[in-house]
Amino acid sequence: MEKIFALINQMEADGVIGRYAIGGAVGAIFWLEPFTTMDLDVFVVLPTSSGGTLLTLGPIYDYLLGRGYKPDGQFIVIENWAVEFIPPGTPLVEEALATAVERDVNGVATRVFSAEHLAAISLQVGRARDHDRISRFIEQGALDSERFEGIIRRHGLLERWNDFQQRYLQP
Amino acid sequence: MTELMRTILERKLVRRKQLAALTVGEKLRMLEEMRDAAAQIAATRPPKPTNPVRLRL
Repeated sequence: MEKIFALINQMEADGVIGRYAIGGAVGAIFWLEPFTTMDLDVFVVLPTSSGGTLLTLGPIYDYLLGRGYKPDGQFIVIENWAVEFIPPGTPLVEEALATAVERDVNGVATRVFSAEHLAAISLQVGRARDHDRISRFIEQGALDSERFEGIIRRHGLLERWNDFQQRYLQP
Repeated sequence: MTELMRTILERKLVRRKQLAALTVGEKLRMLEEMRDAAAQIAATRPPKPTNPVRLRL
């Protein structure tokens, strides 16, 4: 996976993408135990075309397809991984991207969402597997309570957090 | 919850903590191994039940 991170770093350096960070299941694995996932979510700020305001994934596809990588649905297959480039769709994800942390993977630098943002995004999305992921973050003691509560307050998730605690964290 | 179940859950938690404490490089290598193993399992076709439980979305 380091090769993918190196390629994405190069895309950022070449101006094909703006700031990026790893989210989703692979992002969570940076903080938790490894668990199976089949794809890699890369959240990206898309640069606007000169003079324009249109945001498009086109330049990413052009760049990668020009280097021999193949599309597969919404993914591009890189080093046998289905990689999806996702522009931030909510203020919470925008904040996660802006405050993502640098991590080193076998000598390759990359950026990943903080554990607190990953847990808050899981709370916002709210599927069964997202609830399971939040429980794992809590179980691992991976969340700073002050930072996490700040995020859920800022993004209107307090009610969901209270519901989650009542359903899953009551002894 | 029985004492046995509690013990098993505690052991699982300890194991998960050990795995979470590995370096990111090691965890991603394990992930790649799991992905390859999962792909092999997914290549088989288990029989489907005639009346499967369905999710109400």
